[in-house]
Amino acid sequence: MAHEMTKKQAMVRMIGFGAASAAVFGAIFHFANPITEIFSRGGFYAALPIATVFLVSYVHGSFASNMWTALGINAKQPAKTLKPAVTKRPEVRATLNA
Amino acid sequence: MDVALDSLRFIDLTTSSIIFLFIVGFIGGLVSGFIGSGGAFVLTPGMMSLGVPGTVAVASNMCHKFPKALVGAIKRFRYGQVDIKLGLVMAVSAGVGVQFGIKLQRMILEKWGPSGSNLYVSLSFVAVLILVGGYVFYDAMTADKGGKAKAGATLAQRLQKLEIWPMMTFKTAGVRISMWFTIPVGFATGMLAATIAVGGFVGVPGMIYIIGASGLVASATELVIAFVMGLGGTINWAMHGMVDIRLTVIILAGSLLGVQLGAIGTTLVKESLIKFVMGSIMLIVAVSRALAVPKYLAELGLMNVDPGTVSVMDKASFLIMCAALLFGALIIMGSMYKARKANAAEEEREAPVHV
Repeated sequence: MAHEMTKKQAMVRMIGFGAASAAVFGAIFHFANPITEIFSRGGFYAALPIATVFLVSYVHGSFASNMWTALGINAKQPAKTLKPAVTKRPEVRATLNA
Repeated sequence: MDVALDSLRFIDLTTSSIIFLFIVGFIGGLVSGFIGSGGAFVLTPGMMSLGVPGTVAVASNMCHKFPKALVGAIKRFRYGQVDIKLGLVMAVSAGVGVQFGIKLQRMILEKWGPSGSNLYVSLSFVAVLILVGGYVFYDAMTADKGGKAKAGATLAQRLQKLEIWPMMTFKTAGVRISMWFTIPVGFATGMLAATIAVGGFVGVPGMIYIIGASGLVASATELVIAFVMGLGGTINWAMHGMVDIRLTVIILAGSLLGVQLGAIGTTLVKESLIKFVMGSIMLIVAVSRALAVPKYLAELGLMNVDPGTVSVMDKASFLIMCAALLFGALIIMGSMYKARKANAAEEEREAPVHV
């Protein structure tokens, strides 16, 4: 069964991925003009914008996911199917009624 | 390092345009995560209103669409809502539909010029959205209070009974149907995607009413189709150098937040709400596109319209389109808030009382 993350764990991961996400966006916009120019040269340069959006979706996507968990906005777990409770017969013990 | 950008292709970004793209990205992502598609119909004209050329707007929009769909699909796969096999089968036939749609567009462009092409796009928008959106809306309104599907032999159930080789089983969707019924749905999805950029408006209802998947599975599976088609389209556009990566990552920053929230939302609300949101958005967008029709009729010389009226109708058309997206987002967030409140109250009631 998947491990359910606590709000605190999500907060720590949110900060980590948030910093990484800020670094990626910071780098893109610091070098916005040369990056946009190189990425739009066409041909094999097409791999660059595609690789970038995969990187952004991993880093920023993980940040977003942890952010919603840290804020307490979680998916509702599907109702668990009720299994018939296995009741153990009480062991017969010899008792002495004195 | 300072490099001057080609001002014909790439706009200067201002703070207000960054905020606008981020917000539209977030709202579009929220709606996509919930109903499987949406956002693109506002983002492309939205970018064009900022001065972005049409091809760059379409390419940058598509480049943000496929990673967003991927993140949404992974999230909803974890909730057990995605039928990967159905998504891939649909994506293949959708790929053929896209090629056919592009050829048809080119043919119309050659014969009747840009106005004829725009008229064809707008009329397709209005016809498909009114017919399909109207039916989805009607179905959502007549669903029972619990949000369950209605009883009785539906078209999908009748099609599933026809044993035409090859039969395909889609486990998550819980459907066994002939491949020949999945192909037209995928083809129409692709054709619509090539025409109006929102294939999901046909793909999701097609998966529900023709193939027989639930609204939850259909909207989640649409994200797989959007990913495959978006990736293919992006490779094509990027090879022609049309992607403005700055616009793409700004929209992605908002939409990755929204798509996950929308995906969470599907687990909280009743299923008929997905159909309600989808049907409503489609009908509002139909009104918006209908307002654009007189302009193209006038350009083709088929109708006399005052240029002032055309300009007002153009603005109204864009605003109504934004309103459609905003309406969907508000319904989703409102319903999520109510569902969370109800869940919290339920948990409180069920919690053991310690005396």
